[in-house]
Amino acid sequence: MTSHRLRALPAKTILAASLALAASAAFAQTPTEAELARRLDQLAAELAAVKAQLAQMQQERAAPAPAAAPAPTAPASGFGVTAPAASAGTATPAMAAAAPSGPATVLSSYGEITYTRPTKSSVNTQADVARFVLGYQHRFDAKTKVVAELEVEHAVSSADDAGEVEVEQAYVEYQITPTLAVQGGLFLLPMGLLNGNHEPTAYYGVQRNFVETAIIPSTWREGGFQLVGTYDNGLTVQGGITTTFDLSKWDAASTEGKDSPLGSIHQELSLAKAHDLAAFGALNWRGVPGLLLGGSLFSSQATQGQTAEKARITLWEAHARWTPGRWDFQSVYSRGTISNTAVLNTPLVGNPTLIPSSFDGYYVLGAYKVWSHEDYSLTPFARWEHVNTTRSYADLGPGLTPEASGGQRIVTVGANLNITQGVVLKADYQQFRDSPDQNRVNLGLGWNF
Amino acid sequence: MRVLLAASALAAAAAPTSAFAVDYLSAEQAARLMFPEADAFEARPLTLDAAQLQQLDAQGVRGRSANWAVHAARRGGATLGFVVTDEVIGKFELISYAVGIALDGTVKQIEILSYRESHGFEVRLPAWRKQFVGKGSAAALRVGDDIANISGATLSCTHVTDGVRRIVAVVALARRAGLLT
Repeated sequence: MTSHRLRALPAKTILAASLALAASAAFAQTPTEAELARRLDQLAAELAAVKAQLAQMQQERAAPAPAAAPAPTAPASGFGVTAPAASAGTATPAMAAAAPSGPATVLSSYGEITYTRPTKSSVNTQADVARFVLGYQHRFDAKTKVVAELEVEHAVSSADDAGEVEVEQAYVEYQITPTLAVQGGLFLLPMGLLNGNHEPTAYYGVQRNFVETAIIPSTWREGGFQLVGTYDNGLTVQGGITTTFDLSKWDAASTEGKDSPLGSIHQELSLAKAHDLAAFGALNWRGVPGLLLGGSLFSSQATQGQTAEKARITLWEAHARWTPGRWDFQSVYSRGTISNTAVLNTPLVGNPTLIPSSFDGYYVLGAYKVWSHEDYSLTPFARWEHVNTTRSYADLGPGLTPEASGGQRIVTVGANLNITQGVVLKADYQQFRDSPDQNRVNLGLGWNF
Repeated sequence: MRVLLAASALAAAAAPTSAFAVDYLSAEQAARLMFPEADAFEARPLTLDAAQLQQLDAQGVRGRSANWAVHAARRGGATLGFVVTDEVIGKFELISYAVGIALDGTVKQIEILSYRESHGFEVRLPAWRKQFVGKGSAAALRVGDDIANISGATLSCTHVTDGVRRIVAVVALARRAGLLT
């Protein structure tokens, strides 16, 4: 493969230059420039022919055995490696080859910069490079690839700053059969709509929704293995064994557990305690264009052998998305439970944040693309959420059991303005129905490629 | 812009066709599915000149390339339609596909020849591909308009749809110019 690449690169360079010049020549107005453009096109065509001949030679060398000279069937065919290849902006397919192959490394990135101004306490207005992510995918061969993302949150990570540097994904995927792949490493859990598609261009609003941050702790990843089956009826089935949360690090003195019970005890495969492992499964069906229906379940013991008592964490969710024409409707419901919390909470009594026995939340969202022109589009949206991170507590006795809350209801109204496929400007207003002091205006800039 | 560091177009074309499952169809197999009544498929390589590329641009279609791989489906010496093969990038990987164009300029069928992304394989599903059938130059042929998106595979859907729209326009232009008969 390496030798292919070494031989190929100069030719590609020439071809790319030719096509680039040909494309720029499209704007030529003079006969001389037009003639130049024609000659460049001719050169590109000749190069394509050379390429096809090389393909044929290499195919012959790769398969010297006379074996399978495929008998031509019914219709006479002009399909063959001698056919001039075309390119539609990205690559040059040979007619006989269904797919390109060989090693390829692709860089990707996304980022989001946010501005948040609480309407009742402007002194807390904040601007932030919330996330900056660099990633890559490298394909080793037709069956094997590695995917990795490195993320910086809040711009600066140092002893004096709140930022974080983290490996967000790092897994190897191996295609076992046409419909079955296995992933091993650090990967995103396939739960909800956001966790696996968390780039700023993929969701509405400056900030990620509360259900999929407070209940499903996006961006949630674990280390382990999973099988991914994809079927022609539109069904995707996933299941695996992974690391899980560490309930032994619950900080009852902090309020972090009330913000996101699972987010406060996630491990992110950073020297993760792995005494307890989790099993998960997910089903997603996309058999009708524009419709996605799915659900998932994650469950594990989670005290990691650090305490005498065991406790099980279970999280499940159901989600739906329907995108008829210019409309986009989304909904997610998720509920988590933690068992044996009475025993775990007893020594924590007196602290502000005991471990809830259940927590849940849902949202419904509607969006409509009111305007579009080429790659520009403007899509207003409205989202209603109800999130309760302390839906219930196990009974500790009168005066000791924390009071379950009614949760938080949040209305978000705003718009996404895409100025090209990979760049979005966002603006929204968030009303916290149960704590108006948190009402805020958000502005955001995001990109993804 | 995604940076392709290693895979060159030449290496891609030169590599042996993988027999692995992500390669679902050869271009020839796809053509025969699209035009089962054809008794021959004749190569009609198409090269657009600068003025024609400008015309495409004026229509809001980025022609991008002057050269197109086109085959005419023939029966008894008569042309039944055309098959155009192409590739676009999904999110990370190239998607190879073929578009059958009927004589009235509308899409007869599209077939995904290879798909390698970890997500979005649903662009292969017949229900999604059927959305294109019967649509021609007059149609929007845009995701979120007359083509429904697949949640989680927006880039693949968008880029294949953009590619089909481009091919419909290219074939229409070439036929008007007498380059395809």
